[in-house]
Amino acid sequence: MKTWISFLLPDDEYKEKKMLHFLAEGGFLLFLFLIGMTILNQFYNIGSTTTLLLSILFFIVYVGARYILSGIEYTDVATDKAYKRELKLLITKTTSFVIIFTLLYVVFVEFPSTWGGWFELLGMLFTVTLLWFMTSFISLKRSYKKNKDLMS
Amino acid sequence: MKNNVKITRIKRSMTQEQLARKVGVTRQTIGLIEKGEYNPTLLLCISIAKALDKTLDELFWEVEDE
Repeated sequence: MKTWISFLLPDDEYKEKKMLHFLAEGGFLLFLFLIGMTILNQFYNIGSTTTLLLSILFFIVYVGARYILSGIEYTDVATDKAYKRELKLLITKTTSFVIIFTLLYVVFVEFPSTWGGWFELLGMLFTVTLLWFMTSFISLKRSYKKNKDLMS
Repeated sequence: MKNNVKITRIKRSMTQEQLARKVGVTRQTIGLIEKGEYNPTLLLCISIAKALDKTLDELFWEVEDE
């Protein structure tokens, strides 16, 4: 089955089918969400920018959450050894991100001169890193559990 | 869908990973097919049958006990 969206889809046919389901579900729910927002807009004055940003966020969060919770990201992690190796890799990747981002920010953007500046930079970095780590960790854990069950 | 993929693969001393690599899917997909939790496309069924040197009937046709 060829479609223009193929470039966004994985090669594996099970993963491809799952992704198509998630995108279709997200698209349909987004349609309902937009109808709800249109009705709500008759009673409350919601700005168009707010509506658009909320719509984008809604779609990304829904599709992302379905993908993470489905356990289809780490398809080869089925043993305890592979799980620990992948977890170690995830920790290394997030730590490297924190170090590289902080260095690049300090060198090319600005060197925070106040405690407030540092607090702002580290707070933002902490939030992004935590979100990245948690989503990857949940995905890894779900994938491992799913694969382990399939091995027996 | 019940099938004979797992038993045939084991008889051929092949791992899920080896079969997956041979037919170009992930190990997870092979596991799901073996457990009957995913119905593969006809194209993938043919690839699996070729990889295991069996016919589609032998792997995927359900035979009712009399």
